[in-house]
Amino acid sequence: MGSAGRPGLTVEGATKSYGATVALEHVSLHLAAGEVHALLGENGAGKSTLVKILSGVVQPDTGAMTLDGAPYRPHTILQARAAGVATAFQELSLPANLTVAESLLMPRLSKGAGGLISARKTERTAAAILRRHGLASIDPGQAIDDLPLAERQRLEIVRALHHASKVLVLDEPTAALAEVDWLFDRIRDAAQAGIAILYISHRLAEVRSLCKLATVLRNGQSVATVAVDGASDDRIFELMVGHGKRAGIQRRPAAPRGAARLEVRNLATARLGDVSFQVAAGEILGVAALDGQGQRSLFYSLVGLEARSGGTVTVAGRDSSPTRPEGALKDGLALLPEERKTEGILTSLSAAGNIVLPIMPQVSRSGFVWPSLERQAAAEPARAVDMSPRYLEFRIGDLSGGNQQKALLARTMATGAKTLLLYDPTRGVDVGTKETIYAAIRVFTEGGGAVLIYSSELPELVRIADRCLVLYGGSIFAEFEGDDIDERAMVAALTGHPGAARGPASPEPAS
Amino acid sequence: MSADVTALASRPADPPASAARRPRWGRRLANGAGIVTLLYLILYALYGLWDRGAFSAYAFTNLVNNAAPLAIAAAGETLVVLSRGFDLSVAGVMSLTNVVMATYPMEGPQGALLSLLMCMAIGGVVGCVNGAAVAYLRLQSIAATLGTMIICRGLSLVILDAPGGTVTDFVSNTLTDQLFGVIPVSGLIVAALAGLWGLVRRTDFGVALYTVGTDETAAALSGVSVARTRFLAFVGAGLVYGVAGFMLTAQTATGNPNGGNPFLMLTFAAVALGGTSLSGGRGGMIGSIVGAATLMLLQKVLFSGGVSSFYTGIFQGVVLVVAIVFSRALSRLLDGRRR
Repeated sequence: MGSAGRPGLTVEGATKSYGATVALEHVSLHLAAGEVHALLGENGAGKSTLVKILSGVVQPDTGAMTLDGAPYRPHTILQARAAGVATAFQELSLPANLTVAESLLMPRLSKGAGGLISARKTERTAAAILRRHGLASIDPGQAIDDLPLAERQRLEIVRALHHASKVLVLDEPTAALAEVDWLFDRIRDAAQAGIAILYISHRLAEVRSLCKLATVLRNGQSVATVAVDGASDDRIFELMVGHGKRAGIQRRPAAPRGAARLEVRNLATARLGDVSFQVAAGEILGVAALDGQGQRSLFYSLVGLEARSGGTVTVAGRDSSPTRPEGALKDGLALLPEERKTEGILTSLSAAGNIVLPIMPQVSRSGFVWPSLERQAAAEPARAVDMSPRYLEFRIGDLSGGNQQKALLARTMATGAKTLLLYDPTRGVDVGTKETIYAAIRVFTEGGGAVLIYSSELPELVRIADRCLVLYGGSIFAEFEGDDIDERAMVAALTGHPGAARGPASPEPAS
Repeated sequence: MSADVTALASRPADPPASAARRPRWGRRLANGAGIVTLLYLILYALYGLWDRGAFSAYAFTNLVNNAAPLAIAAAGETLVVLSRGFDLSVAGVMSLTNVVMATYPMEGPQGALLSLLMCMAIGGVVGCVNGAAVAYLRLQSIAATLGTMIICRGLSLVILDAPGGTVTDFVSNTLTDQLFGVIPVSGLIVAALAGLWGLVRRTDFGVALYTVGTDETAAALSGVSVARTRFLAFVGAGLVYGVAGFMLTAQTATGNPNGGNPFLMLTFAAVALGGTSLSGGRGGMIGSIVGAATLMLLQKVLFSGGVSSFYTGIFQGVVLVVAIVFSRALSRLLDGRRR
């Protein structure tokens, strides 16, 4: 039917394939001006490809797009921007060598005398943009390198806002944000100004509070566009995965606690002061915290990626003070790092190669390693995380984010370490993969393993943790156990609310 | 999460972004140009200790003349290295321009200017070929430029099959002379190049060059045309190699079809010594120029210290490695203090 003339962006029958893989198949979508439209789908459903098409990074093989009735077919990011369409990418796209101001204005910076770039003018222009979008706290002269992840994400969003005069695409904009008020205010302002917004998130609660309509992608096809208010969570999950599943949240019964596997006493680093706790064999200890409360420092200092300034750590009764992750592995500690793209996967190796990396000596036969040996050795860990064996021989860089994360978890488990440190293991992962990851973690602990897990999503910790610590300002602010692990109480503790502070259920020996 | 819980969670903002900016001088030092300058001064002091004449205008001019071809070649290479690439064609272009000049000498200042333009044209064409192959056909830069280097060498041998040819007096004398009896002319040419670089750095292309070298994907998603930036880097480098070949001719006063060969490895050594990261995105031309000057000064110092010239290579290599290790350590230290 004639969609031309409707204000907003219309995509009709977009198809895109990479070689033999069909990433998108006849996807249709209408973003109305002034509305926030959600895009839902599991990882690998084609969301990223659609985002790339909208923002001019790739061109669809077939299909047509119209923007305010006129044909829209951008070939570069700049053409998309010129048409008023801008994107905040999930894999943050701010070059690390630039300052905040430069990254906002790239590729054309403000010029001073003689047509040369003026750092002062660039910073002034950028400061005005930052102020306009409620981010005056960021110094435009600061290096991107020095910004925490959350600030980079905000900056990425501001840059998109700045260029989006008609359509704004936000791909997982809250992946690194602990607080969403700022973002939601921006989104509502933009919608008020008549901008069409495509909002992609795994967090259904966010979608419910922002969007009226949601389009669901499954296996590269747009299966339905539904009114968010009229659709239950179950209905939406069903559309995403193709079959109804996911019963209500079920906490597992508190497991009898075994001997302490990991014991941390008075651990201190540059960002962490005097942290003590224990994780028993068979236990999942959660760590909840807002951005930058020292959680990263805690995990990284345990495996020797960050220097400790005090305290002792024992693993299975033996003192552990590794200076490198290999040392930590010998002690029986394995870390799943925060950023899978930069700290985790080796994109050019196969998934199997990535999984068996830490156990290479066991895999090799008289010093040589064949792909078939790798696949054999990787099969077992891959099964533990429910990763389909057919993915094992693919380059891991070509897999979806969810499968990459599964492979990383498989690798962490394949090390044979009995204590896992999982840093936000489900970040940017779809609901189906999340379930798989939870199940794998449970099986691991039932086998006598101990898990320390940080998550940026509270409901996740509520679900999976036997006990939960709340970090605030670099120390343990509260501890919850069993049925006391409750979102409401934990949220208060997260923010350092005085009434929410509480000690551990069983007092630890004074040190 | 229910709505009120969300609101609660968001009340106190995350802690403020680390406010400390990296000190500018720290960056300068850590990026290596500072270290190599220091090294140059120390070596010059040594040179002065062993050779009384070291501080005369004549000795300095000699040094600058010796260093100019390498310094200019390294400056050109820097453009490509910054964009995360390698350009081996530098050796071929220098040989080719050298034999062309020696085969077709042109008298007087106008002739010299024409020769210079011709050299730059040759370099520019080679740069275009390299750039097109790397940026648009997506060949690996080492493979593509290895090809053009071999072609240029072959062409040089076709044009002049043995050392010889004629170099005009203006080129061989005036360009290696001093202005007002103090300032070496070749030094002025290098300085002009450095000045031009100062301007280029402050253009969108300059910023894009560093950005492409740092993170190609992020650069592309920020609207930078990666292919165009790469292409221009190779073309710019080619033009500069032309100048290097021109200065090589002035310095050697002869044509030699293999004249450019020794410059291949020394160019990369100078770039690395000057603090430019061979993996792209960090460094600059000034560092490479000083790096080249340091390598050549080292030869002189060893000579005046009575060390056999057979040992020169060993010393150059050791200095290169030590300087890079030292600058790494220093930048770690500065980073560590910042955190």
